[in-house]
Amino acid sequence: MSDLLEYVQDRYAYWAIVLLMIIGLYGMLFKNNLHKKVVGMIIFQNSMILLFVTAAFKWDATVPVRDPEIDVQVVENYLNPLPHTLMLTAIVVGVAIVGVAFALLIKIYDNYGTIEEDELLNKLESPSPEDDGDCDTNDTQRSSSPKGGSA
Amino acid sequence: MDMSKGKKILGFLSLLSLTILLLVAVDSLPKRGLPDAPAHQVINAAGNTGAGAYFIQSAYEDAATPNMVTVVLGDYRSFDTLGEVVVVFAAAIACYLILRRREDEEK
Repeated sequence: MSDLLEYVQDRYAYWAIVLLMIIGLYGMLFKNNLHKKVVGMIIFQNSMILLFVTAAFKWDATVPVRDPEIDVQVVENYLNPLPHTLMLTAIVVGVAIVGVAFALLIKIYDNYGTIEEDELLNKLESPSPEDDGDCDTNDTQRSSSPKGGSA
Repeated sequence: MDMSKGKKILGFLSLLSLTILLLVAVDSLPKRGLPDAPAHQVINAAGNTGAGAYFIQSAYEDAATPNMVTVVLGDYRSFDTLGEVVVVFAAAIACYLILRRREDEEK
């Protein structure tokens, strides 16, 4: 029984990370709403960040900030600082990606009035003239309307 | 709803097989929290100095800063951080270009 407990204790963090990653992939693949797809991408990113932070962990070690009372030459005393640094970079890049993704979503909603994938594909295949925000119809309306020249 | 049923089943099956593959692969990872893991070694398997251990041992000597993460981010990898700033700047410019209201668009 204690063997099984030890087996689970050594691995449960990685199992949870794998499940998080699969949840993120499920969101990106199967959700119809583009906003939910972005949320799936965020979950995926964070599962990878958690993977690296978990790999940096050591039992009985302290945070990677030098303490004069703890010997720096014994590497087992401190957590590995390298994965933490790399994930700091990854978090910043992730925030930048999410910002651009949401800006694109806002623009798509402005132009097509929906962020549902199937409705969007229908509108792209057969642009109907009553779509008020659509770029193409906007151009044709402008060129045909008498106000176009004066504006 | 748009996806056909066969495509959906195929997607679920591939997700399920990926889950099983990764859960099996966890077994060959180093155990969580073990200081003997290859990433934590002073001299790694290839005979070189391990980066993580080197940062712990010489961060204070090299940069006189107690926080090792700060030293790695700001000293050893400062050009990486500069590139990161460029990425964030590019993202901000992209957001502005996407979201701005062009003159010919106003109604």
